[in-house]
Amino acid sequence: MRPLHIIACVKVVPKPEEVKVDTKTMTIERGNVRSEINPPDMNVLEMALTLKEQHGGKVTVVAMGPPLFEPYLRLALAMGADDAYLLSDRSFAAADTLATSYALAQGIRKIGDYDLILCGEESSDGATAQVPPGIAEWLDTSQITYAEDLEVLPDSKMVKAKRELAGGYEVIQVPLPCTASVKVGANEPRFMDMERKVWAEADGPVTVWAASDIDVEAEMIGLPGSPTIVDGLAQAESKARKREFLQGTPQEQAKALVERLRAYL
Amino acid sequence: MTKSLYGAQEASAIWVYLEQSQGQLGGVSLELLGKARELADGRGIPVVGVLLGDQVSDLAQEAIAAGADEVRVADDPLLRQYTTDGYAKVITEIILEGKPDILLLGATPDSRDLAGRIAVRLRTGLTADCTDLKLEEKSGLLIGEVSGFGGGVIAYIKCPDNRPQMATVRPGVFAVPEPDTARKGKVVNVPVKLTEKDIKVQVLEHVVGGGVDITKAEVLVAAGRGCQGDFTLANELASLLEGEVGWSRVPVDEGWVSRDGMIGQTGYVTRPKLAIVCGISGAFQFTVGVEKAETIVAINIDAEAPIFEAADYCIVDDMFNVLPPLIEAVKKARGGNGGR
Amino acid sequence: MSQSVDSILLQDETWERVNKATGGAAAPCFQCGVCTAICPLGLVKDETINIRKMVRQAQLGLPGWADGLWECTTCLWCESRCPHEVDITKAILGLRQLAWKEREIPEGLPTVLWDIYFDGNTWGRPPSERPLWTKGITVKEFSPDDEILLYVGDDAAYDRRIQKVARALVSVLEAAGVTFGTLGEREPSCGDAARSMGHGEYAAEIIDTNARLFQEAGVKTVVTISPHSYDMFANQYPNLSGDFRPLHYSQYLLELIESERLKFENELPLKVTYHDPCYLSRRNGICDEPRQVLQSIPGLELLEMERSREDTLCCGGGGGRMWMETAAGERLSDLRIPEAAATGAEVVVTCCPYCLSCLEDSLNVIGKGKLQVMELAEVAHLALQSEAVASDAASGRS
Repeated sequence: MRPLHIIACVKVVPKPEEVKVDTKTMTIERGNVRSEINPPDMNVLEMALTLKEQHGGKVTVVAMGPPLFEPYLRLALAMGADDAYLLSDRSFAAADTLATSYALAQGIRKIGDYDLILCGEESSDGATAQVPPGIAEWLDTSQITYAEDLEVLPDSKMVKAKRELAGGYEVIQVPLPCTASVKVGANEPRFMDMERKVWAEADGPVTVWAASDIDVEAEMIGLPGSPTIVDGLAQAESKARKREFLQGTPQEQAKALVERLRAYL
Repeated sequence: MTKSLYGAQEASAIWVYLEQSQGQLGGVSLELLGKARELADGRGIPVVGVLLGDQVSDLAQEAIAAGADEVRVADDPLLRQYTTDGYAKVITEIILEGKPDILLLGATPDSRDLAGRIAVRLRTGLTADCTDLKLEEKSGLLIGEVSGFGGGVIAYIKCPDNRPQMATVRPGVFAVPEPDTARKGKVVNVPVKLTEKDIKVQVLEHVVGGGVDITKAEVLVAAGRGCQGDFTLANELASLLEGEVGWSRVPVDEGWVSRDGMIGQTGYVTRPKLAIVCGISGAFQFTVGVEKAETIVAINIDAEAPIFEAADYCIVDDMFNVLPPLIEAVKKARGGNGGR
Repeated sequence: MSQSVDSILLQDETWERVNKATGGAAAPCFQCGVCTAICPLGLVKDETINIRKMVRQAQLGLPGWADGLWECTTCLWCESRCPHEVDITKAILGLRQLAWKEREIPEGLPTVLWDIYFDGNTWGRPPSERPLWTKGITVKEFSPDDEILLYVGDDAAYDRRIQKVARALVSVLEAAGVTFGTLGEREPSCGDAARSMGHGEYAAEIIDTNARLFQEAGVKTVVTISPHSYDMFANQYPNLSGDFRPLHYSQYLLELIESERLKFENELPLKVTYHDPCYLSRRNGICDEPRQVLQSIPGLELLEMERSREDTLCCGGGGGRMWMETAAGERLSDLRIPEAAATGAEVVVTCCPYCLSCLEDSLNVIGKGKLQVMELAEVAHLALQSEAVASDAASGRS
């Protein structure tokens, strides 16, 4: 088998605790909010880089988003990835998961020659977990969702993984090419190499593709390509705790507590 | 616009994907049937369950008792285990045949695996992890309520044109309906066109219902340094409340327990309905693991322990003084229910 | 009888890498073994860590990792007795940097570095939560007219226990009429975590960025809560403006006392002993100042432990150990608590967040009667209160 080519899909997301809803305009206020690489995507990068170490080959990072994503792709290069592609175009914006997975799939198709496509299980902002199986369907690859560890079997051109189930797990084996979603916390993401960071920032290969650079139909990307729409937004109320101190002897406290916990008994 | 394979004019009925495992319908499937029934009754539309598996036909009756008017069953040995390949192919055919207006699935790992795939195959919209479902007054469109940004923001999602309008719902969001065994419904056996070649997935191991997964516990009793390695009381209380036992990092560090039930930043993040936290000071690294609980009770000997800032009900005392009377009080309170 | 010996081929290329990473620190070592014999880890483990072997590896250019590489707390005890004054810390940190390159490092450490990178602190908490320690009090933003910048540090900002130290220090500074401010949400992580974990390259980047930040903000005198931050600013940071003057708060409090801005007028009849943090005493020679602060409090009796001043016993928290797991029974601070109790003191005073955390953890586990652990700032704050009744107030630990 030729050296393994792994596509690592990443997304840059706002720090969840800092996002607020502007209830007047019904939009998400992202202005001052800090960004980070979606946490499970860090696990994706670690997994991809580990597989590259095991099997040789290369890791290509792919993302769809605005130009602000670029420094984060260079971060991925500093961690050890070889190449990065950013699909960036106004016409990609406001995409739901159907349009997003379509655009990413077409970008990956253009990159070509992939064996394994790794995505985080879900993103901390949208949290749908739908893009990985979506990409798998558009590209007609096998899929493994909620993978905790992944083993590539180069001789048989298969990939084996343990996936989390409701109340258990299973181990499945599917043929390459495969699209897999990786569970957050599946591994500990390596810190970047500072010397490689210098290269990544100066010379790291980051290619930016507009919609016209890849083969996409205009009515299938961005807002036009999104069957779902957001019909309204609200700020979730954060949980304020009661902080009620129960008084009396332990027996009295136990009684008072049980009164309050009736619903759970 | 990416057009779905069939349009709104041809679509009708609310369908519920019935997830089954080891001869049992998943709780979330029953919950969805209950909700679908509620939504459908308001408008006089039928509720249809779709069930895939091997020798699962008797589950159809259970679905009817939970609210289905009809259950379409695809029964085949190749469907014994869930595989993306087999299930996606078969359910897509059934959907294209039946043309549902709405398709609901539980937000479980396998159902999300399936939903994400077929949504693209059908070129339709999928709203993930809904915390509530409504039908819009005039249009009858499904509105899915979802939370994003780590729970800080609520969004209402609609799929106006593409069909089926798909949505997944977290287990436990809706209540399991009281079964009405008198309900009548139709069971339709659907021919399955599957061959072995269609399924490229090999399931090597499948383990369900094994070890404890504290992230799924509805009730959690957590003990830390204060238990001094003695989990007897915590175990008893958890057992009484049909919950699980977890711990902070201290018991792991002290070698009293393994990492399996460790709650916190470097352990598990749980979201129980009730968390009873004993003898744990409540440093941030721990509280991130329980802060999503609906109700938190904290018991700690130190009045200044930070856990009290994160709790609804606070008891300042040694957990060994409090847990025995608490266990007695719980037994007494449950005694009337005859236990559950 | 002949034994087969594994032979190792020394490579020029690796020797150069190792020599560069360790800054040639290992060169003067003549393998006497004193370091290994006296390492305090030998008090809590079956065997001491093999410092001699690590230094030898550094000399020969062998990056293989001795087990002890990550257990060293950089307490400097070995260096203080080394007959050739080998910079053992530098050799060990250099080997750790190479371990990062090979990614042969303890679990959990990359996460801390990512926390610093994405969140600007070792706790992985939002920068917006940095000022939460000031709840209920007012601490203003630093301006160049202020006498000092109070550098709070990650632990005093985010750790609830250490937050109390910061608050105590603020009251003492206010009592002395000092004009001061903090960098609020903008306060950067000092870089000690990255450095002591051995990621010298990342630490260098942090130092560079922060030194310029301090310069641009017009910072001259900066007072730190942690001796580790102090050590970074005093010994690792460049003095860009020429008048960058880092101080540990124990030094600054003494300055205030000597200039009569800070006066302790009330009696505080407390028997205390003082635990010297390695990074103050051994590493920076700051032994007198904290003691003089204590001794300026009327009624306070200072009792000394045997291992005091430059002979202090490490608490176990340095060298990145705060982010690594130390097995029960192998904790140096477990030894320190009985030593403190044996002096007859009611309180063991220290002035380092790591020492404070380690000593309190050990105290909770061992439980030593009425002994308590307090920070110097907390004792000073207590002494300033108008009605200072020793044991009651001390147990409230305000």
